[in-house]
Amino acid sequence: MDKIKLFIDGKEVLGTKGETILNIAAENGIEIPNLCHSKELKNFGACGVCLVEIEGNPKLQRACSAAIEDNMIIHTDTKRVKNARNAALELIMSDHEGDCVGPCSLNCPAHTDVQGYLKKIAEGKYSEAVEIIKKKIPLPASIGRICPHPCEAKCRRRLVEEPISIAYLKAFAADRDMESDSPFVPDIETGSGKNVAIIGGGPAGLSAAYRLILSGHSVTVFDSMPEMGGMLRYGIPEYRLPKSVLKKETENIKKLGVIFENNKKIGREEFSVLKKEYDAVLIATGAWKDMKIGCPGEELSGVFSGIDFLREINIGNVPKIGKKVAVVGGGNTAMDACRTAVRCGAEEVYVIYRRTRAEAPAEDIEIEEAIEEGVIFKFLTNPAEIIGENGKVKAVKLQIMELDEADSSGRRKPVPVDGKFEILEVDSVIAAIGQKYDSFGFEEMELSAKGMLLADEKNCSTNIEGVFAAGDATNKGASIAIAAIAEGNLAAAVINAYLLGVPFEKAEHRYSERNVTEKDYAEKEKAKRAVMPVKSPESRRHNFDEVINGFSEEQARNEAKRCLECGCHDYGECKLIRYADENRINMRKYKGVKHDIFTEKELVSIERDQGKCMLCGLCVRVCDEKIGKSLLGFRGRGFKTAIKPEFEHSEDIADCRNCLECEKICPTGALKIIK
Amino acid sequence: MRIVIGEGSCGIAAGAIKIHSAIEKYAAEKDIEIGITGCNGMCFLEPIVDIYDGKELIKRFVRVSESDAERIVNAVENEDFSSLSDIEISDEDKNFLDLQTRIALRNCGKTDPESIEDYMDNGGYKAIKKVLKMSPKEVIEEIKFSGLAGRGGAGFPTWFKWSAARKSAGEKKYIICNADEGDPGAFMDRAVIESDPHSLIEGMLIGAYAIGAQEMIVYVRAEYPLAIKRLEEAIKQAEKAGFIGENILGSGFSCKMRIKAGAGAFVCGEETALIESLEGKRGMPRLKPPFPAQSGFKNEPSNINNVETFANIAWIIENGGSEFSKLGTENSKGTKVFALTGKVNKSGLVEVPMGMTLRDVIYKIGGGIKNGKSFKAVQLGGPSGGCIPKELLDTVIDYKSLSATGAIMGSGGMVVMDEDTCMVGMAKFFLDFTAEESCGKCVHCRIGTKRMQEILTKIVNGEGEQGDIELLEELCGVIKDGALCGLGQTAPNPVLTTLRYFKDEYDEHISEHRCRAKECSAMLKYSINPEKCIGCTVCARNCPVKAINGELKKTHTIDQNICIKCGMCSKVCRFGAVSIG
Amino acid sequence: MSEYKSDLTKLEKVFEEYESNPENLITILQKAQEIYGYLPKDVMYKIGEKLKVSPAKVIGVATFYSQFRLEPMGKYLIMICQGTACHVSGSEKLASAVSDYLGIESGKTTSDGVFTLQKVACLGCCSLAPVMMINGEAYGRLTPEKAISILSEIRKKEAAE
Repeated sequence: MDKIKLFIDGKEVLGTKGETILNIAAENGIEIPNLCHSKELKNFGACGVCLVEIEGNPKLQRACSAAIEDNMIIHTDTKRVKNARNAALELIMSDHEGDCVGPCSLNCPAHTDVQGYLKKIAEGKYSEAVEIIKKKIPLPASIGRICPHPCEAKCRRRLVEEPISIAYLKAFAADRDMESDSPFVPDIETGSGKNVAIIGGGPAGLSAAYRLILSGHSVTVFDSMPEMGGMLRYGIPEYRLPKSVLKKETENIKKLGVIFENNKKIGREEFSVLKKEYDAVLIATGAWKDMKIGCPGEELSGVFSGIDFLREINIGNVPKIGKKVAVVGGGNTAMDACRTAVRCGAEEVYVIYRRTRAEAPAEDIEIEEAIEEGVIFKFLTNPAEIIGENGKVKAVKLQIMELDEADSSGRRKPVPVDGKFEILEVDSVIAAIGQKYDSFGFEEMELSAKGMLLADEKNCSTNIEGVFAAGDATNKGASIAIAAIAEGNLAAAVINAYLLGVPFEKAEHRYSERNVTEKDYAEKEKAKRAVMPVKSPESRRHNFDEVINGFSEEQARNEAKRCLECGCHDYGECKLIRYADENRINMRKYKGVKHDIFTEKELVSIERDQGKCMLCGLCVRVCDEKIGKSLLGFRGRGFKTAIKPEFEHSEDIADCRNCLECEKICPTGALKIIK
Repeated sequence: MRIVIGEGSCGIAAGAIKIHSAIEKYAAEKDIEIGITGCNGMCFLEPIVDIYDGKELIKRFVRVSESDAERIVNAVENEDFSSLSDIEISDEDKNFLDLQTRIALRNCGKTDPESIEDYMDNGGYKAIKKVLKMSPKEVIEEIKFSGLAGRGGAGFPTWFKWSAARKSAGEKKYIICNADEGDPGAFMDRAVIESDPHSLIEGMLIGAYAIGAQEMIVYVRAEYPLAIKRLEEAIKQAEKAGFIGENILGSGFSCKMRIKAGAGAFVCGEETALIESLEGKRGMPRLKPPFPAQSGFKNEPSNINNVETFANIAWIIENGGSEFSKLGTENSKGTKVFALTGKVNKSGLVEVPMGMTLRDVIYKIGGGIKNGKSFKAVQLGGPSGGCIPKELLDTVIDYKSLSATGAIMGSGGMVVMDEDTCMVGMAKFFLDFTAEESCGKCVHCRIGTKRMQEILTKIVNGEGEQGDIELLEELCGVIKDGALCGLGQTAPNPVLTTLRYFKDEYDEHISEHRCRAKECSAMLKYSINPEKCIGCTVCARNCPVKAINGELKKTHTIDQNICIKCGMCSKVCRFGAVSIG
Repeated sequence: MSEYKSDLTKLEKVFEEYESNPENLITILQKAQEIYGYLPKDVMYKIGEKLKVSPAKVIGVATFYSQFRLEPMGKYLIMICQGTACHVSGSEKLASAVSDYLGIESGKTTSDGVFTLQKVACLGCCSLAPVMMINGEAYGRLTPEKAISILSEIRKKEAAE
C-alpha cells in the first residue's frame, strides 16, 4: 500500500494509513509515553499518558488508538500535552501506595542499596553483597564499623520491633569477602587518557578515586599523612576501626591502579602545579582544625584539641594527659577522645557537655559504652574558665546550665544558671567541640561565610575551572563519613563528565513512599535484632583491641532475613517512575485519600499489590485476550475499582500457576513473582 | 364522558393509583368510562384528573386527593362540575401548557399510553407508512431538512449520524435508543416512554428503515420500571399490528425490537459504554475512533439516538422537515423539552421552541421563584453542564448561545436555584455525583474528579486554603483534555461555570469562612438573640444534642462546642430569636 | 471449592428464558436478583458457567452496576433521592438524618435486617422533592423529622410482629 506522509514534532515521517500514531512515532524513534498499551492486546485508553495534539483537532488524542492521516501534523510535547500527561502521572502518584526504594536507602546519604545487599547476605552470597555495596561505598568493612547508620534510624523494621543491624551486616559481608578466595574485584573501563589529582585520601577522596579509576581515568591521591584514610585513619581510634581493616581496604583501591602519594602536603605552589599537570583536581582535604572553646585558660599547657589528640594517638604518640581528664563536647569525636583517654591510663575521665544526653549528637551506643568504661558525664555544664598553675592546667571551672524552650531548630537551647559554678580538678582538657577547614595553601579558593570551601552542591564545582571540591572541607563542614563518601561519588561523576566533555546533570530521582504505621505490621512475626558480641568493659578498658567481635554467620544471615523488603522489586524496570522522572512531575501535587490497598495472594505464584496498581488493566486483558482464561477481573467502579482474581474451582488456580504473563506485562511493581 | 387519570410516575408518586381505585369504586355500575393517560408535564399539580367528552377535554382537576373521588364521579354523572371549583385548574396554571409548543410531547398526557388504538386515533403510525414508500435516502434528506439535532446533549445533527450508519458496511446494523436518562434532575425520557411509547417506536422504526437496521434496541434505566412495562406492552401491540417484525406492512423491510434494562450506572449514557453494557459487560467507555456508526454493538454499525430525538421523528415525517425547521433559531431548529425543577413555582415538563429565553421559561411558564425568594442561577445539562447566573437570564435557548455561557443544552435538566443555594455546594454536589459515577477506567476522570471533589469538600467544610481555586482550575483543564469519554471531559463544567460566575462565593468560603447562602453548616454559627428570647424552652427541648442551656423565662444560650448546626432550634423557635451567622 | 448453598434449580427457568449468551449476563443477573433478593456467589458462578463467562468477569459486572447487591437486603429498602431538585430542597440533610437514625451508611443494612439504606440517582419525582422511597412507595416533601417519624412507625410495626 502507498505510504502517507505526516509530521511528528516537526519531523517528516512515512506510514501506512490506518496505523496508529504511537506505532509510527516509535518506528521513527520518537517515544510517546504510555502505560496501558501493549502491541499484543486491544487498545484500551485508560492511562491518558500517550496524549498528543493534532493540528486542526480541538481535542487531544490518544496516540495508542488515533490513526494517522495524510499530512497530519502531530505534536507530542506542547505545553497542553505536557500538562495533561503530567496530570495523569501526578494523579496516579497521588493514588499510589508503595515504596520505590526502602527508607533505609533513601536516608543513606550515598543511597546504598541496602535491601539489595541484605538479600545477598541472607542468601550467604557475601561477595555479591559487596558488589552491590561497592557501587556506593568503596570501604565497606571500615564504614560498616563506624557509620552512625542513618539507614537504621529509618528502617521500617522498627515498626515491628527493632531496626535491622544494617551497618554491622555491611562490615560482616565485607570482612567475609576480603577473607574469601575470590573477593569481589570491580571491572575497569578502558583508559580515557585523562588524569585526575585528588588532594586528600579520606573517605571523600578515596571514593572519588575509586569511581574515577573504574571509569578509566588515571588517578593520583595526595595526602599529607603517612597512611591513607584521613579521619578514618587518624581520627577514629583503633578499638572502633582497626588500622589493619582500613589498610586492607585502601590497599584494594591501590591495587586497582590508583597512585597513592603519602606524606605530600599540598601548598600553594604544589596546587598550581597540580592544576597544570592534571586534567582535573579534586580538593578533599577534610576539616582538621579544631574549634576553640573560647574561655580563658585555653592557651595553658595540658589543653588539647580532640582532633590533635586522636591523631597523635593514631600516629603512635601518647600525649601527656595525666590521671584526670576533662573532655569537652557531646559528639562522636568527644566520645572517641574520652574512651581513648581511658585506654591511655587516665583514671578519671569526664565529659563536659552543655546539654543533656538526649540532645547529645554522639551515637547512643558510644555514650553507653563510654559509661561502661567508667567515663563520668557532666551534662548541663560548660567550661567558664580553665584554671592554671605554673602555666599548666589545674582545674576547670564549670558553669551550670539549664535548658530553655526549644528554638526554631527544635533543639532546646542551654542557658547559664546565674552564679552556679563547679570546680573540677583536672590534669588536662581535651576540647572536641567541632572541626574547621584549613584553607592554608588554597587561598585562591572561594570560601563560604563560615570559612568553608565553597563548592556547588549539585556539581562540586568551585570558583576555578577544573577544580572540584567535596567532603568535610566544603560548604556545611564536617559531617559523617558516609556523607563524605556520597560527595566523593558525586564529584567523581561530575569529573567524569567534565573529562569526557559531556554536560553533567545530577540525576533527580523521584520516589513514591508509603505511609505506614505499626498497625500495618501488626501481623508480622517478631524477630529480635541481632546483638553484636562485644568484649567486656573490663577487658577492653586498657587496650585498643576492637570492641566488637563480629557476627557469626548464622547471626548475620538471620539478621539479614529480617529485612521487610520495603523497596519495590520493580524499581529499575518501572515505567511509571521512569516517566515521573523524565517528565519532572511533582509527586505531591495532588493530595487526597488513596484507594483501598490490599495484597492478593490467591494467585499462588504471583503476589498482587493493589497499592501499586494504577488500573491500566494490562494483567486483566492479557489473561483474557491472550491466555483466554480471564481469571483476573476488575472489581467495583470508579475510584474504588480494584483488580482481583476469582477462582471457582481449584483447577483454575492450578491453571493460573505457570503462565506469569500478567507479571511480565505489568508496567509497575504491582505484580511480583513469589515462587 | 370519560374520566382520565394522569398515571405517569409523578402522578403515581403523588397518589394517582389510589385515586384511580377510588374513582373505580364509586363509578362501579355507573355508565362512566375510566381511562388513563401519561404525564402532561404539570408535575406541580399532580395528581391530575381530566374529564373528556369524546376527544374534547372539558375539565381538568388538580392536586386531587382520594377523598375527591366520590364528588368527581358524582359530578361527571350529573354533568355538573360547579361544586368542584376548588380543585379545578386555575387560568394562571393553564398558562403552563398554553405557552408551550409540543412536538416530542404531543401525545403526553393526552392519549392512553397502553393503547395502540389511541395512538393511531391521534395520527400514529401514519409516518411509518409514508416512510416505507420513500427511499432511505429521502428519509434522511427530510430529517436533514428539519435541522433536528441529537437531543441527548451533544447536539450532533441526526441526519449525519444516520447517514454515516447507512453508509457503513456491516452484516447487520442496529438502531439503539439511549433511554439511560441519568442526569439528576432530568426525567423527560421517562415521561415520553411512560406517556407515549408508540411515538418512540415509530421514530425508531423510521430510523431503522433509513439506516437499514435489522434490530432496534432500547436501553432503559432500570430505575424506570413503569416505562419498561409500558414500552414492553407497546412493542407487543406494535408487533401484533404488523409494525415490527418480518416484512413490515408488506414493504419487504424487516426489523425486530427489544428492550434492555440498564442496571444502574450513569456512565452507560455515554454511547460506547452503553454498547459495552448491551454486550453484557462492565459499562466502561471504549476508545473513539472507531465510532459506533462504523463499529458499535457487536462491532457492527450502530446508530444511537436518545428518546426525545426519536419522539420528534414521526412528527417531522408527517408534517415535513420544513415545518420543524420553521421553529427555532438559525443554528437550532425545532423544540426542546426541559424538566423544570428546583426553586421554581411550577415544576414539570416543558417543551418550548428553540430561541425562547431562559427568563421566559422560568418566569412565564415556571411562574417564577418559590416563596418570593430571588433567583440566583439555573443549572442546565446536569453533571456535564453548568450554572447560568441572573445576568444571563435573557440568553436564548439554542445550542450555540447556551454553550457560550459555559453550560450546555444537555438532555434537558433545568434546575432553578435561589439565594439559599450555595454555588460551591452545588459544584460539590455535581462532583460528588461524577466521582461516584465515574466508571474508573481512565486516570483523569477516576482520580481527577476524586481530587476535585476532595478540594470542594474541603472548601465547603471551611477548610479551604489559598491555592485551592488555582488547583481546581488546573484540574478542570487537564481533565477536559485527558479524560477518555464525554462524561469525564465535561465533568469539570459545573465547577468551571460556578468559578466563572460565582468566584466571590468561593473566595468567601476560603478567606472569610462564610457561606452567604447559609447552606454550608460547617461555617454557620447559631446564636440566640437575648432581646427576642422569652425563655420558652422549646429550643432546648428540641435540641438533639442538648447544646442549649437556659431556665424557663430566662434567655437561653447555645454551647458552640456541642452544637452540631442542625438548625432545629431556629426551626422551632416561634419568636425568631435564633440567628444564623 | 465454593460451598453451594443457594438453591440453584431456581435459575433453570431463567436459563430457559434467556439464551446462554454472554450478552445476556446483565439481564440474567437481574432475574437472579429478583429470585434470591441478592446475588450469592454460587449463583454468580453458576451463571458464569452457563454463559461461559469467567467468574472474574461476572463479579466484575455485578460490582460495576449499582443495582446489584452482593449481600441480602433488608425487609424495607429505603431509597433516598439524590437528584438535583432534591438536592436543592435539602436531600443531603434528609439522608444524613436517616443515616444517623438507622445507624448505617448508604448501601448497608441494619443489623436486625429490617432496613437497607440506599442513596439513589434521581427517582424522577422532582416536583415532590425531597423524596424517599420505601419499597417502591414514594414519600415526598420530606423534612428530616417527617422521614424519621415514618421510619419509627415501621420500626414499631416490626417490633410488634
